[in-house]
Amino acid sequence: MNAAAHAGTGALAGNGAGKIDEVDWAGKNYLVVDDFVGVRQLLRESLRSLGARNIDQASSGGEAMGLLARIRYDVVLCDFNLGDGKNGQQVLEEARARNLVNPSTVWLMVSAEKSVESVMGAAEHQPDAYLIKPITEGVLLTRLNRVWQRKQVFRQIDQAYAEKDYLRAARLCDAQIAAHKAHEIDLLRLKARLMEKSGEPARAREVYEAVLAQREYQWARVGIAKIRMANGEFEQARQMFQGVIAENRHFVEAYDQLALAYQNMGKSEESCAILERAATMSPNSVPRQRHLGNIALKIGKVGLAEKAYRKCIAIGEYSVMKTPDAYLGLARVCGRKNDPKEALRLLMSAQREFAAEHPDISLRVKITEGLVYHESGDERRARKAGAELEDLLAASAERPDVPTCLELATLLFGVGAKEAPVELLCYVIRNNHDNPLLLEEVQKIFDEAEMGEEGLALIQASKKEATDLMNQGVLLWKTGKLGEAVDWMREARGKVPHNQRILFNAAQIMVSHMQQQGYDAGLSAEAYEVLHHVDRLLPGQQRFAQLMEQLVLLQPQPEGEGVDEQEDASASAGRTVDTVA
Amino acid sequence: MDEPSSAPEHELFLFLASTAHDMKNSISVLSGTLERLLGGAAPSTNPDYPQLAHMLYQTRRLNDNLMQLLALYKKVGKPEYPFDLRPLEMGHLVEQVVAVAQVLLGSRGIRLELDVDPALVWHVDEDLVVGVLSHAINNAIHYTCDTVRLAIREVDGWLELRVEDNGPGYPPALLKAGASAAREIGGVNFMTNSTGLGLYFSSEVAKMHRHRGRHGALRLENGGHYGGGCFVLSLP
Repeated sequence: MNAAAHAGTGALAGNGAGKIDEVDWAGKNYLVVDDFVGVRQLLRESLRSLGARNIDQASSGGEAMGLLARIRYDVVLCDFNLGDGKNGQQVLEEARARNLVNPSTVWLMVSAEKSVESVMGAAEHQPDAYLIKPITEGVLLTRLNRVWQRKQVFRQIDQAYAEKDYLRAARLCDAQIAAHKAHEIDLLRLKARLMEKSGEPARAREVYEAVLAQREYQWARVGIAKIRMANGEFEQARQMFQGVIAENRHFVEAYDQLALAYQNMGKSEESCAILERAATMSPNSVPRQRHLGNIALKIGKVGLAEKAYRKCIAIGEYSVMKTPDAYLGLARVCGRKNDPKEALRLLMSAQREFAAEHPDISLRVKITEGLVYHESGDERRARKAGAELEDLLAASAERPDVPTCLELATLLFGVGAKEAPVELLCYVIRNNHDNPLLLEEVQKIFDEAEMGEEGLALIQASKKEATDLMNQGVLLWKTGKLGEAVDWMREARGKVPHNQRILFNAAQIMVSHMQQQGYDAGLSAEAYEVLHHVDRLLPGQQRFAQLMEQLVLLQPQPEGEGVDEQEDASASAGRTVDTVA
Repeated sequence: MDEPSSAPEHELFLFLASTAHDMKNSISVLSGTLERLLGGAAPSTNPDYPQLAHMLYQTRRLNDNLMQLLALYKKVGKPEYPFDLRPLEMGHLVEQVVAVAQVLLGSRGIRLELDVDPALVWHVDEDLVVGVLSHAINNAIHYTCDTVRLAIREVDGWLELRVEDNGPGYPPALLKAGASAAREIGGVNFMTNSTGLGLYFSSEVAKMHRHRGRHGALRLENGGHYGGGCFVLSLP
C-alpha cells in the first residue's frame, strides 16, 4: 500500500486480507454495558453513527444478564469494571456458559487499561477483542470489522469444535493456515489444543514446537511442559514452568501448572507456596482459590485454607464458575478449629445454594458433616451422620464421583459401618477395573479398615465382573453377531454405567454396526450420548476423537453439500475393539 | 524470583488504578464529544473551530500522558505491565492509528501519508505500539508544516516504524535527550522537558519487545522523506 490520504475522509486504512466484504453494522442488535452513563451515551452515539438502530443499555452486570437472557445480541460492548456485582468477565463467562450468546456474537470488552486477566486468561474465556478507552468511532468500526473477518476464518473450525469433532477441526485449521498467514499463530494454538483433546499429545507438541520456532510464545512453552508433566516428566516440566515465570512474572497459568508439578512430585509445601503467590497476583479466580484452600488444608495450614476458601466464596458470589467445594472445605476448616456450629451453618448454606445444580450435594454435605464430627472427636454425632449416609445410599442407585465415593467409604469404615462402604468400593472397581492406581488406593482403604484379604478378594471379583461383561460383548462382535453385541453392551452399560472401556467398546460396536448395515438415526444418537458421557468422565482420550470422527462420517450428507475435505488415513486407523483385559 | 508486593503497596496500586479508570471515563467522554462537535462543524462556518481542534489535541495529550504514566507505574512498580505479544498485520495496526488520529488530523488540515505493506505480519503488543505511534503523530501534528508520514517496513529482520514530518525538525537538545532516553532512564529531565515522558515511555515500549537476545530501540533524527523530524521505532 502506498497511499496518501487526507485524514478525516476515512476509508483509507489498510485492510490486511485485502478483501473486506462490507458488513451491515446498521442492522445488528447491540448491547452496551457500562456503569458510567457518560460512556454509555458516547458509545450509543458512536453506534448510531454506524447506522445502528437497535441499541440496548445496561448499567450493571445483573442488568446485562437480564437482557442477555431475553434477547440475542449480535454485538456486545461491555466494560470490564462494572462497580459492585458481576464484572464484565463474569458476565461474559456466564453468558457463554448459559448459551445466551451465539458463536457469531461479537463480544468487545472495554477497559480503562490493560489487565493481567486480559493477557493471561484461558483462551476459551477471552472476548473477541479488548478495547482500551478512550474509544473513538473510528476505532470502534475498525475493531468490529476486524473481529468479523477473524470470525469468518474460524467459523467452520469453531463449529466442528462445538460438535466435538476435534480431528476434523484440526484439519480445518491446517487448511486455514495455508490461506490466512496472518492468523497462523492463533490457528496453531487452537490446533494444539484440539490435538490434546484428541488424545494426541505428541502431535500437539509438534505444533507447539512449530510456534516456538517462530517466536518465544510462553503459552507454547507451557503447552509443551504440560505434555511432559502428563508424561510423568515432573522435574523437566517444573524447570520449564519456572523458566516461563522467570521470563514473564505475570503468566499466571505457569504458576498453577508449577503447583501441579510440585504436587505430582509429592512436594505439597512448595505447591502451596506457589499457589499462594499466584493467588496474590491474580486473586479473582474461583478455581485457583479453591485449589489453594484444598492444598493448604491438606498440609495443615488451616489459616491459609480459611482465607482462600472465604475469598473463593466471595468472588464466586457473582460467578457462574462457583461450586460447593469452598463451602465444604471451609466447613472442614471450622471442624479443625473446633467450631462445629459454624461448620454446620456453612453446610446448610451449601445445601441451600447448590441443591438445584448439584444433585449429589446432600450426600456431599452429609459426608463433610460426618468428617467434621469425626475430626473434632464427636464420635456419637459422626456415627449418626454415617447412619444417615447409609440411608441416603440405600435410597438411590446413583453414586457420586470417584473421589467422593472413596471419601465416603473411608468415613463409613471410620464410624463402624461395613456393608455400605464395601458396596461403594466394589462399585468403584467395577467402573474402573483397568485403573491400577485406583485399585491400589481402594486396597489401601480396605487395609486401613483391617479388611485387607477380604478386600483383595472383593477387588478381584469386581474386576472379573467388569471384564466378563466386556469380553462377552467383544466375542459377539467378533463372531459377526452385531445386533446381539449392541444389545449386550447396552445391558452392560446399565450394570456399569461409568466404565470407560465398556463405554468405548459399546460406541465402537454401534459404529461397526452402522458401517456394515447402514446409518441408523437412533443408534447414532445413542453412540453420541455414550461418547459424550465418557468424555465428561475422562476428557482427552484418543478413542473419543477417533470415534467421534467416524460417527460424523456416517451421517448422511444433505443434498448438494459435498464433503469439504478428504478423509485421511487416521480416520479409519482406530477401528479396533478392545480385547480381553 | 521477587517477593510478592506488600499489602499497602498493592492497595495504593488498586486505588491508583480505580482513580485512573474514573479519569479515563471523563477523558473518553471529553474527546468523544469534541470529535462529534468537530465532525458536525466546518472551519468556514464555525469561528470556534480552531479552538475546538486545539481542545481535542490537548485532550489527546492528557490521555496519552495518563496512559503512559499508568503503564510506567505498572512497569516500575508492581505489578508489572501485562505485556501482550501477538502477531499483527501492519494493515490492522495502521487502521488503528488512523482511527485514533483522523479527526485531529482533519481538524488541523494535515495530510497523513502512509507507506505500509498491509499484509506484513509482526509480533507486537498492539495497544502499546498504537499508543506510541499515536503519541508520535500527535506530536508531529503540532510541529509539522502540513504533512505527516507513517512508514512501516522490514529492514534486516527488524520492523522499522517511522513517523516523519515536514516541519523544522527536532532541536539539538531533544535529539540528545532522545539518544539518552534510548540508552537509559537517567538522561531525560522530566522537569524541564515536556516531551520527556513520551520519549521515555516509547523507549520502554521498544525495549519490552524482545526476540532471540535482541530488543527494540527508539531514535530521533532529522531528515527522512521531507527533511523534518523523524521518530523511528525499531522492533525485533
